[in-house]
Amino acid sequence: MWITSTRFGPIQFEPDDVIRFPEGILGLPDCREWLLLADERNPTVAWLQSVDRPEVALCVVSPRRFVPNYQVRLPRRDVQPLELDNLDAAEVLVIVSRSAGYITLNLKAPLILNLQRGLGRQVVCYGDQPIQYVVASLGAALRKSA
Amino acid sequence: MLVLSRQRNESIVIGDNIIVTVVDIRGDKVRLGIEAPSEIPVHRKEVYEAIKRENLRAAQLDPADTHPLTEGASPEPPGPANASA
Repeated sequence: MWITSTRFGPIQFEPDDVIRFPEGILGLPDCREWLLLADERNPTVAWLQSVDRPEVALCVVSPRRFVPNYQVRLPRRDVQPLELDNLDAAEVLVIVSRSAGYITLNLKAPLILNLQRGLGRQVVCYGDQPIQYVVASLGAALRKSA
Repeated sequence: MLVLSRQRNESIVIGDNIIVTVVDIRGDKVRLGIEAPSEIPVHRKEVYEAIKRENLRAAQLDPADTHPLTEGASPEPPGPANASA
């Protein structure tokens, strides 16, 4: 199967590669099926590419790389649909965004994946986690070389 | 909008499987208990709206924007203090 992503061009995939978000992702309810892609130019990040909409892709990272003490506290019901045998099998990713010249991570609403079953869900954590946690400045690379 | 009056410990039923109960009322604050199947997400509306906005903003990100992350993977980020949402 093929899709032609606006960012990454043609992508070939098998049905088993698809990660289903049965409820969609907040704001993107029509995007139920996604592919997790490595970024060849940046090994720090990966991309969730929508199968349904070729122009929609979300950059994701493993949060502990940036926030070593990051913990996801959730109502148990929120992970039930993921059919996880145990919580250690869950893959936790956070969405990368940009805001006012900074690269930010959404620590409030991580994505929990069950890669064995190809299932995912965006959840909302308990407590005061920021929706825009600054991890880098977009101008940082320029300033370094100046 | 349908408006119903309820007292403490009274409930409303939505469809066959969602029950919203008034657990406590104190001043201008109402505590609600919600029983719903786990596949139905339940969120505070302002949090729901903020996450929706953030997801749509994130969906605009260009791969070139992520370049600062290759070298900037420091646990102590630069820039403004990270205030809690």
